[in-house]
Amino acid sequence: MDWEFLTDVFLQLLGGVPLTLQLSLTALLAGFILAVVIACAASSRFRLFQWIGGIHTEIFRGTPLLVQIFLIYYGLGQIPGVRHSELWPYLREPYWCAILALALNTSAYTAEIIRGAIQAVPAGEVEAGRACGMSGFLLRRRVTWPIAIRHGLPVYSSEVILMLKATSLASIITLTEVTGIAYKLISSTYRVMEIFAVTGALYLTLTFAISLAFALIERRLQRHLGHRRN
Amino acid sequence: MSIASSELTAKATAIATSGLRKSYGEIEVLKGIDFGAREGEVVSILGASGSGKSTFLRCLNLLELPSAGSLDIFGERVNLRHSDSGARIGDRKQVDRLRTQVAMVFQNFCLWSHMTILENLMEAPVHVQRRKRAEVREEALSVLEQVGLTHRVDAFPAQLSGGQQQRAAIARALVMKPRVLLFDEPTSALDPELVGEVLKVMRDLATEGRTMLIVTHEMAFARDVSNRILFLEEGQISAQGDPLELFAGGASEGFDRFVRRFNESASR
Amino acid sequence: MTLGIYELIGFGPHGWGLPLINAAGITIAAAASGFLLGSVLGVAGAVLKLSRRALLRAVGMFYTTVFRGIPEILIIYLFYFGGSVAFTKMMNLGGLPGFFSLPAFFIGVLAVGIVSGAYQTEAYRAGFLRLDRGQIEAGLSCGMSDLLLLRRIIAPQALRFALPALGNIWQSVLKETALLSVIGLTELLRQSITAAGSTREPLLFYGVAAVMFFVIGRVTGSLLSRTEKRLAKPWSR
Repeated sequence: MDWEFLTDVFLQLLGGVPLTLQLSLTALLAGFILAVVIACAASSRFRLFQWIGGIHTEIFRGTPLLVQIFLIYYGLGQIPGVRHSELWPYLREPYWCAILALALNTSAYTAEIIRGAIQAVPAGEVEAGRACGMSGFLLRRRVTWPIAIRHGLPVYSSEVILMLKATSLASIITLTEVTGIAYKLISSTYRVMEIFAVTGALYLTLTFAISLAFALIERRLQRHLGHRRN
Repeated sequence: MSIASSELTAKATAIATSGLRKSYGEIEVLKGIDFGAREGEVVSILGASGSGKSTFLRCLNLLELPSAGSLDIFGERVNLRHSDSGARIGDRKQVDRLRTQVAMVFQNFCLWSHMTILENLMEAPVHVQRRKRAEVREEALSVLEQVGLTHRVDAFPAQLSGGQQQRAAIARALVMKPRVLLFDEPTSALDPELVGEVLKVMRDLATEGRTMLIVTHEMAFARDVSNRILFLEEGQISAQGDPLELFAGGASEGFDRFVRRFNESASR
Repeated sequence: MTLGIYELIGFGPHGWGLPLINAAGITIAAAASGFLLGSVLGVAGAVLKLSRRALLRAVGMFYTTVFRGIPEILIIYLFYFGGSVAFTKMMNLGGLPGFFSLPAFFIGVLAVGIVSGAYQTEAYRAGFLRLDRGQIEAGLSCGMSDLLLLRRIIAPQALRFALPALGNIWQSVLKETALLSVIGLTELLRQSITAAGSTREPLLFYGVAAVMFFVIGRVTGSLLSRTEKRLAKPWSR
C-alpha cells in the first residue's frame, strides 16, 4: 500500500470537490425552481402550457445528458444570435454551460417527482381541509405541500445523488472537478486501480453524506407516525 | 355421511405421529402429539387460535418441521434430521414423493397467479408426477366439472371470487390423485355467502370415502361430516372422539367450554 | 455553409446518414449486450442480497453500493485504462513490447454491464419480495423440487414484477452508451462528434444525435411496455 501516493491523490482530488459541489448545488437549485414552473405548466388548464411542459420533460429525460451538454457547449455557439447576445460571456464558459445543461436535465426529472408527489396526496385529506374552510394558498401550504414533500423526499434524494454523479461529465468539457482531476492523474501515472479506489471512495463518502442528510430530514418529518414498535 | 367408524378399524393407517413437538425459539406450540388417521377417515381438528392446530396440520406435509417426535406417512417413516440449529429434512426426494400423495388446501387458496385455472391444475401432475399431458388435461376438466367450474377453465385466479378460487384449489389437489387431503381452515378467508359452496364440495368428497384432515371453525360441518373430532388445547390433544358424543356435551370439559364460547361469540 | 442540411445528413457522397445509422446500430448493440450482462449479474446480485448468510448479503450490498454510487464515467475509465494496463503487462510478459489497448466495444459492454447489474439486482430483488409466500408453499406441498419451484413459480412471477423497473434501467443503459464515446467507440455520439468536427455543424449533428437517441428510446420503450401489459394480464380483473 503506497500510502504516500494515495494521500497525494486524495489531496489533489479534494481540490476538485468545491467545483463538484458548486456544480451540483447550483444546478439542483436552478433545476428545482424550473421544475416547479414546468410542473405547474404540465398541470395547467391551457393546452399550450401542458404541451410545453410535456415536451420539456420528454426531451430532457429522453436524451443522454452528455448529448445535452455538447449541444449547449458546442452547439449554442454556432447560432449568431447567441454569439452576439448579452449572455455570450457566460455561454462560452464551460462552467455555465455545464450548469445550464445539468439544471435543464434535473428540472425534467424533478418535475416528474413533484407531479408524482402531489398526485400521491390523498384526496380525502385535501377535502378535509376544504371542509374546514381552507382554500387556495393556505390549503396548499398547510395540507397539500407538507404531505407531498413527505412522499417526494425519498425519491428526490435519489435525484440529488444522480446529480452529484452527473457533475462528473463536466470533466469532458474541460472542467477540473473531481473526475477531471482523476482523469488527469490516471492518464499521467497509469496507476489506475489506486486512483479509482480513492476517487470512488470520495464519491461514496459524498453520496453517503447526502443519503444521511435526507434520512435525518425524513425521520424528523415522520415524527407524526409515532414510534415503531418492534 | 362418511363411512361408519366401525368399518374403519380394519383399514390401514394413513398418517401417524408419535410425540410430535414444535417450538419456535422459546415458545413450544406443539407439546407432544400422538395421533393416527386411518384411510377413509374424515377428521376435523378444532381448537382456539393459538392451540397449534394449523401448525400440527402443516407438520404433516412438512411445511413446518417438527422439533421432536416422529411422522409416518402410509407406513413410511419420514427421515428427519435433528440438530442443535433445528430440524431439517433428511431426504428431500422422499418428502417430495410423499407430498404428491398428501395434498393440501390452503386458507388463502394459494393458486399460482400467473397461470390459468386449467394450468394450475395441470402443473404438478405434469411436472412433478410426470403424467401425460392429454391424460392430465382430461382428468383436470373432469374434476373442474365435479367442483362446478367448467366455465372458468381459462380464467386467471385474480378474476375469480374467493369461493371459486377455493373450489379451484380443491380441484388442483384432487387432480394429483392424493391418498390424503389436508385442509387448513379452507373457509376462514371467505365471505360468509361463499362458504356454503366450498363446504358442499368437501361434503361430497367425504361421502366418496376420501381420507381428509380438516382444520376448521365450521362446527356444524365438523359435527355432521366427520368420523372423528380432534380437539387441541395449548399444543396438546385435549379431547378426541365421535363427533355426536363430543357435541352432545359432558364428554370433555375443555371441549364444552370451547363450544360454549364459540356459540356465544357466534350469536352476538 | 456550402452543403444543405439534407445533404449533410443524407446518404449521398457527402452525407453522414449512413455512418450515423451504423453508429446507431453500435449504440443499440452495446446497450443490449451491456443490459444482458447486467441481467446475469443482477440475478447473481439478487441471490446474494436475499441469502440467509450475512457474508453473502454483505458482498451483494457492496456491489450495489459501489456501482450505483460511483459515476459511470469513472467506471468506464477504470475498465478502459485499467484493462489496457493489465493487458499490456500480460503481453509484455509474453514477450510483445509496446502498449496494448482492449477493444472499446468489449470494455464498454463490460462497464455498462457491471453498472446496470447493480441496478438490476435491486429490480429482481424487489420483484422476488413481492411474491406471495403461499404460492411457494402450494408448490412445495405438491412435491415440487426447489429447482422446479424456481423455474415454474418463482422466476415467472418475480420477472413480471421486475419488468417496470427493468424498463427504466434499459432506458438508462441506452443513454449511458453515449459515455462510451470518450473511449473512442464509434457509437452515435462519437460519430456525430466526428461529423460535427468535420463539417463545423455541431448544432445540426448533436441535434440529430439527440433525435436519434430519443427515437430509439421511444421505439424500444413502447415495445417493452406492450410486452409488460401482455405479461401482466393474469393480474388484471
